[in-house]
Formats: sequence, C-alpha cells, structure tokens
Amino acid sequence: MKRINLGEFEEIALLTVLVLGDNAYGVSIKTEINMDGKRSISRGALHTALSRLEDKGFLTSTQGDSIKSRKGMPRRYYQVTNKGKLALQEVREMRDALWQRIPSVRMELNYV
Amino acid sequence: MESGTQNCLPKLVIDPSNIGPPRRAERFFKYFCDQEYFEELQGDLEEKFFINMKRLGQRKAKSIYRNEVLKMLRPSVIKKVKTQTQLNNTAMFKNYTLIAFRSIARNKLFSAINVVGLAISMAVGLLAITFLAELNSYDTFHINADRIYRVINTAYEPNQDPGLYATTSPLTGKRLKEEFAGFEKVVTIYRNFNGDAKKGDNTVSIRGLVATEEFFDIFTFPLIYGDPAQALKNPMSLVLTETSALALFGKTDVVGKIIEWDRGLQITVTGVAQNPPRKSHIQFNAVGSFSTLELMNRNNPSFMSWENMWNSHVYALLPKGEGIAPLQASLDKISEEENAKLKNWSIEMGLQSMSSVFPGKKLYNEIGARMDMKTVNSIVILALIVLASACFNYTNLSIARTLKRAKEVGVRKVIGARRAQLLFQFIIEAIIISLLALFFAFFIFQLLKPEFLAMDRNIQRYITLDLALSTYLYFFLFALAIGLIAGFLPSLALSKLRVSNILKGVSGIGANNKFNVRKLLIGIQFTLSMAFVIMVTLTYKQYKYVLGYDLGFTSENVLNINLQGNDVQTLINSFSQLPEISEISAASAVPSTGGMWMDRGKYIEGNDSLSLYNLHISPEYLDNLGHTLLAGTTFSETQGRNQIIINEQLLKRFQMGEPFDALGKTIRIQGKARNVIGVVKDFHYGMLDNVIEPFVFLGDPNEFNMINLKVASTDIVATMQKLEEKWIEIDGIHPFQAIFYDDRIEQAYSKLASSMKILGLLALIAISISMLGLLGMAVYTTETRIKELTIRKVLGANGTNLISLLSKNFILLFLAASAVAIPVTFYAFKEMVVSQMKYVIDIGALELGSGALIVLIIALLTIGSQTRKAIRTNPVNHLRNE
Repeated sequence: MKRINLGEFEEIALLTVLVLGDNAYGVSIKTEINMDGKRSISRGALHTALSRLEDKGFLTSTQGDSIKSRKGMPRRYYQVTNKGKLALQEVREMRDALWQRIPSVRMELNYV
Repeated sequence: MESGTQNCLPKLVIDPSNIGPPRRAERFFKYFCDQEYFEELQGDLEEKFFINMKRLGQRKAKSIYRNEVLKMLRPSVIKKVKTQTQLNNTAMFKNYTLIAFRSIARNKLFSAINVVGLAISMAVGLLAITFLAELNSYDTFHINADRIYRVINTAYEPNQDPGLYATTSPLTGKRLKEEFAGFEKVVTIYRNFNGDAKKGDNTVSIRGLVATEEFFDIFTFPLIYGDPAQALKNPMSLVLTETSALALFGKTDVVGKIIEWDRGLQITVTGVAQNPPRKSHIQFNAVGSFSTLELMNRNNPSFMSWENMWNSHVYALLPKGEGIAPLQASLDKISEEENAKLKNWSIEMGLQSMSSVFPGKKLYNEIGARMDMKTVNSIVILALIVLASACFNYTNLSIARTLKRAKEVGVRKVIGARRAQLLFQFIIEAIIISLLALFFAFFIFQLLKPEFLAMDRNIQRYITLDLALSTYLYFFLFALAIGLIAGFLPSLALSKLRVSNILKGVSGIGANNKFNVRKLLIGIQFTLSMAFVIMVTLTYKQYKYVLGYDLGFTSENVLNINLQGNDVQTLINSFSQLPEISEISAASAVPSTGGMWMDRGKYIEGNDSLSLYNLHISPEYLDNLGHTLLAGTTFSETQGRNQIIINEQLLKRFQMGEPFDALGKTIRIQGKARNVIGVVKDFHYGMLDNVIEPFVFLGDPNEFNMINLKVASTDIVATMQKLEEKWIEIDGIHPFQAIFYDDRIEQAYSKLASSMKILGLLALIAISISMLGLLGMAVYTTETRIKELTIRKVLGANGTNLISLLSKNFILLFLAASAVAIPVTFYAFKEMVVSQMKYVIDIGALELGSGALIVLIIALLTIGSQTRKAIRTNPVNHLRNE
C-alpha cells in the first residue's frame, strides 16, 4: 500500500480548510484550529504547514481581492485538491480499519 | 463568497496614523519575510491584530503581534539567500570582457587617454614597487636576521641638536661582553680597515673591517676555508674574501699563508669567506681580528675610551624569543656609568634592528650602505601621487560618459541584472583597461629604469632594479588594485542609474550636474601639477644658489688629487715640474663636500672646552685656496705640528677678543698644547646644511691625504694626461684619482640635483597626465555642447566668447587649485627639501606664481584647441540632424 505522507497537524489543517469551505484563509484557518483543536498555533507555524501541503499537491490557493482593512493586502484562499481529499480518505480508512480490529474489551480503561 | 467575507470582517473605524500594529515589528517582518509570502502573511497578521485589538485591547494585541512576528522566524518564511549559480559566472564574465573590449574599441580617444595615462603612471608605480622590493630584500640573507640588533649612539652636546651615530665606543662591546646580560653574542666591528695587502708581486687594496671573533657567528658570511669560531681570535690574523684571495694568491685555499701589510706587518690568513652578498649593508673584502687592533693600541688609553665613539660598531644577537628590553637596560646602565665621567656632553645608546638599518634613519658614520628612509618614503609618495592622478582621469572620463552607457545599463537592469552585477561589470572593465596599461607600463618601465638609476649616485650604488619572479606577481596585483580603485566611482555611478530614468529618455541623466566629484578630481590634478612645477622651480633655484654660494674661499681651477698612501713631497716635486701648475698645497681632506673631522679642544686660559672641526694643511694651502687671513701668518715649514690657525667662530666662542689678541694663545688639542699663529675669516667647512662652527687648521704632514693643484691651462685634457703620466711614474698600482674642486662640490650636492631631476620627471608626468585628462574632458564637453556652441556661433558669438564660456568653470577650479598648491608647496619645500639647509633662497611671488601660470597656460591651450576645432566646422554639419 502506498504510504500517504500526511502529518497529524497537516491532516488537521486540511480538514479545517474543508470545514471552512470558501472562506478558508490564514486568519480563519488559524481561528478555527485554535477554537476546535484547543491548541494555540502561530500564523508562522500554519504557514509552514500550508506551504508544505501545497508543495505536496494537497492544497491549491488563489489570491483574493485586496481588502482595505488589511492595508490593501489581499487574502489567500485555500482549497483542498482531489489528491488532498483522496489522501484524507485513505488516512481515515486506514484508521477505521485499525479501529475495527480492536476488540472493545481492550479499549476499556484500566484503573489500578 | 463576497458576503461571507464581509461578515467575517470586524466593523472598525481605523485611524491608521495612530492605531496599528507595532511599527518596529512590522518593519522587521518586512525585512526578513520572503517577498512571495509577504502580502498574505502581513495581511493576515494585520487582520488578526485588529480582531485582537477589539477583543483584548491595543496593548495585548500589540504584544501578540510581536510574538507572532518572532514566530515567523522559520525557514519557510525567511527570505531565501540568493546564491549566484556557478554555471552562470563564466558566461557573464565572458560577456563582460567582450563588452569591455567593444567599448574600448568604440571610444578610441578616451580609451587611449586612459591607457596612456595609466601606463605612464603605472610605470612609475612599477619603479616604486621594484625599488621597495629590492630594498626590503637587503640583509635578509642572515639566518638570524630578526635577532640581530645594532647599538646606535645619540650624542648630546649643549647648544646643539642631538647627533645620531651608527657608531658607538668599542668600550660598549667590551663591557657588554664582560659584565652584562640580555644578549646571546655581541660583536665589535671597527670600520676603517684600509690599506694594501701584498703577496709577492700581487697587491690588493683592502677596504675591510676589523671585528671580534663572534663576527662569523652572528652574521651569515660563510667561510669556505677556516674555522669561523677561531678565525678572528688571535692577533695578526685575517680573513680574506674569495675575490681578494684570488687576487693575492690566485687560489682560495690559502689558510695559514702569510701576507704583508703596510709598515712591514706580517698577517696570517686564517680563513677565506664567500664574498658578501650585494644586498648586505656590511661590505668588506677582508676582515681583520680586533685583537690586533687592541694590541696596537695597548698604550693608547683613548682607544678604549667612552668618548671614542666614531669608528666602531657593536652588533648584538638576542637570545631566541626574547625582546630588546634586557639588552637596552644593560646599555642604559653602561651609558649612565660612563656619562658620569664626561664633562659637557653625554651619550645615550639605543638599539636598531637589522631590518631597519637599510633603508633606515639618517645616521652619521654609517658602516656601509646607507639609504635614508625619507628618500624611500618620498619616492613612494610621489609615485602614489602620480598614480592617483591617472586614476582620476579614468574616473572622470568614465563618469562623464555615463550618458553613453546609460542605455546599456537600463537594458541590463530590465533583463534582471542586479546592482552588484553591474558594479562587477564596470570594475572588470576598469581592470581590463589597467591590465592593458600594465602591458605598456612594463615597456615604459624598462625605458625609465636606467634613467631612474642614473639620477642618483646613491641609488645606483645599491639598487639594480632587477626583476624577481615575485615582483611580477606584485605588478599583476598592483594592476588589479589600480583597476579597482579607478573603476570604483564610475561603476558606482553607472550602477546607480534608475531604469525608469534611463528609459524615459537619456536627457535627464547626463546633464545632471550632480557629479561634483569630477570637478573635485580635476581640481586635485591641477593642484598636483602646480605643486610639482613649483617644487621643481624652487629646487632648481636652490641648487644653483648652493653651487654659486660664496664659501669663503676660491675653489675655481683647483684640482684635488687623492694621495692614496703616496709620499706627499715626492708627488709635489713631480707635479710642480709641469708649467700649467701654478700653486700646490696639501691637506687632510676636501672641505665643503660633506666629510668633517672633529676633536675636542680646550682653551687653557678660558678653561673652556669645545668640539672643534679641523683640517690638516700644508703652509701653502691658505694662499692656494684664497683664504683671508685676518691676523697672523700661515704655518712655517718646521713648526706646523704645534701651531694652529683658527677661525672667527672659535675666537667668538672662546671669547678671545679681536683677531690680533688671539695670536700666541694656547689651545690643547689631541693632548698637545698648540699656539694660535693666525686667524682666518670664517668659511664654509661643512656643507650648507651646517652653520659655521669653531674650526682650526692643523699642520701635521702625516695626516695629508690630498694635494691641491692650482691649474692654469687652456687644454685641460692634455694637462690631465700629463698629470696622470707623472702619477704612474710614482704609483703603478692605484689608479689616478683627480677631480676639480667645483665638480666635487657639485657631487656633494648631488642629492639636491637628483631630487630635482626626480621631481622634474614626475612634474612632466603629472602635467601630461592631467592635461590628457583635461583634453578628454574638453573633447567631451565640446561634443555634448556642440549644438549650443554652433547656435551661439550662428547668432554671432566669436571664438573668444566661446572659449571663455567653456573654460569659465576651469578657471574657477584653477584658482582654487592654486590657492591650495602654492602654500602647500611652499611649506613642503621648506620642511622637506631644504629642512636641513641653513642657507636657503628667498622665495618670492615669481617663483611661486610661475608654476601656477605654466599649468594655466597649458590648460587653456588644451581647452582652446578643442573649442576652436568645434567652432571652425560648418554650422550646418551640426545643426541639420536632430
């Protein structure tokens, strides 16, 4: 089976982009992750992940119109590519398969 | 999508002047962020900032912003350092070279001016480099060169400048060896070991040294035969050089053989040394043992006295890895102890490293080769000045022609050349020009070389200007450096041009007269040329003045003949047979030509002692050389040894009153009481570097070295021949040495003459270079203003109007230049050329102004010729094309 090269944080980023739909750009992605993921990432860290995902071909981006409140700086909107979607599905399937093979007994928490 | 976006935006009224992200963090982010991501990231940060500000307040938002910026410092965000790829380099380099050659070929006049100017000045630079390289290679052959130091003396006498001597007392060497520490070995060398060595029929005139046994240990003068440690140990032993051994014996394996010395002394050869290398400041053709000298002077207490510091040198070898401080301490101790015994004067000792002996500071009684560091420095500085002048030309012409290259720069920039690349390109171009100039400079250098060597006897004696392999490397590096320096400003100016300006139209660039550097450089060139011309004029006048100076006696038609050890009376008898010789006298030396002899003299009545300059003369001398006796008579034949004739200065210093009062008074010199029998009018015993000091004539015939013939002849050549024949009858060994007094004086001032020649040559070079530059500028100016000039002409301006229009700027520059050049040269002349001379010409406006005027006239001629050429052509030719 082909190994899918997708890190944990990258997976979350990809999923967040999918959640946000048309409104996935730097600030919104960051806010979303910080809110749902209960983790605090910096914009710089997010940039690293997003640009790596783009390099891998899981994301594409388009430049939006320039916006006055950003001193005329345009936003960059991200979309998940088909390749990205496939990768996400594959990762999910692999996990599900593993989940299903775990007998429920073993999942019980043991307290000593 | 649009509406969604709008909803996300915080509704804020922003006053950007006041509220906003922290400026510094913003700027910092802009500085390091990759251009590609900057807009996106900066926008996001900004947006987030305003959201935060609304929720958390400005302070908190700002601190978050700063934090965010810091966290941006990661490889994915930071600008990529752009590295030039290696592949591209060679191709670009090729292109630069090609373009450089094309532009050289296209502008033949400018290239020629640049190359010729640079070549001439670089030839001077090459001279200076070769000269320096050769000087620095002196005395480097000694294995211990860095550990050898020489003891030098400074003599302090009241009312006199301290005298610096390369010599010290032999006592220094002796006491160091016996009592003190701070050195590994020490050698005492006695300077004047001159005489004839004989073996059978062979005679060799020895110009050697006498030294203690450490001589061959400290210095690297290898012995071919003999034991270096023992060779100079015993009295009456001698080490010959290869050459002198061959001349005496016809072979070099002569250890143990005996040679005859003057006065029937028998000396044993204990070693044969290789000839000392040319590049050694110590030269000899034999070395005698110091113990011989000690033996001969065992009854002469003054030999080992502290005051006898005129003839011996002491060199010390320091222990490995130690400084001079311990040795200096020992020397200070010695001089402190010995000075306590001195009256009226004191001697301090210092140390001089081997490398600073030649070239070194000016010292009296130098052991051999001497080269004043000041001479060396001034040659280097003058060369640099000429070089700078030529570099200015390149800079000026290239900057002036910025306009013509502007389009090329524009196109290159549009295609993507960065400023650094353009800088590189134009520097390469300058380097190519300077390498081209180096090629021509090398030939000019070969032409200049013999001229330079012939300029100064001193230089010729020690310097050959032979080229070592390393010197070629220096030449190449030198050319690179010149290219860099000359090309720096133009390439800066060219690469600075903005694409938008260039492409908008060239008119805006060239006319822009912001380049005041150009005027400054031309001004400096003017100043230098003027300074050179003025300096040459002044030096020439001083030279003439010195030669024509009334020395207080008549040197005309007096021929001085070196006795070379022959009997005075025999020679006088023989020469006096010639009818052309009207008067003959003898003396110990030739005054007014540099050499001076001195002794301490004590005035018995006044109980006062002084350093007295002296000269031994025969009774006829005063008359022969036209000295004026103020009182008394000259020596009588029989009593010369106990009598003296003094000068007016001595009279004054010893306060003897009127000239007649001094007659019969007693002065003790060299341990003998002597009667004053005459007083002469003051005359210049030393050169014009010295004021007239107390002086005595002594009359010991044993001291005579020269005879002075008054020659009255219409055919000097024939007379000289006759004299030489007479000489050969008496002395078959030594060549006849005769020189007219006036010529000898001229020789004595040869330093002035040679600095005049050097300055003259440089003046010529400096002027031609700056005029070449000016010509270039004039051509350029007329070319760019040709239309303006033609229109003016058509409207009725005449040639004078136009020339004055074009030269107006230059006249201002010229005035500024002369305002700088005249006082500076005046000062430099006083301080450097004649600083030691006590008798100097009066400098008037004429001397100072004439130099400036010459430069002005040449400059106007240069500009005028170009303008004339421009306005004489038919106006139509310039006006019909637009």
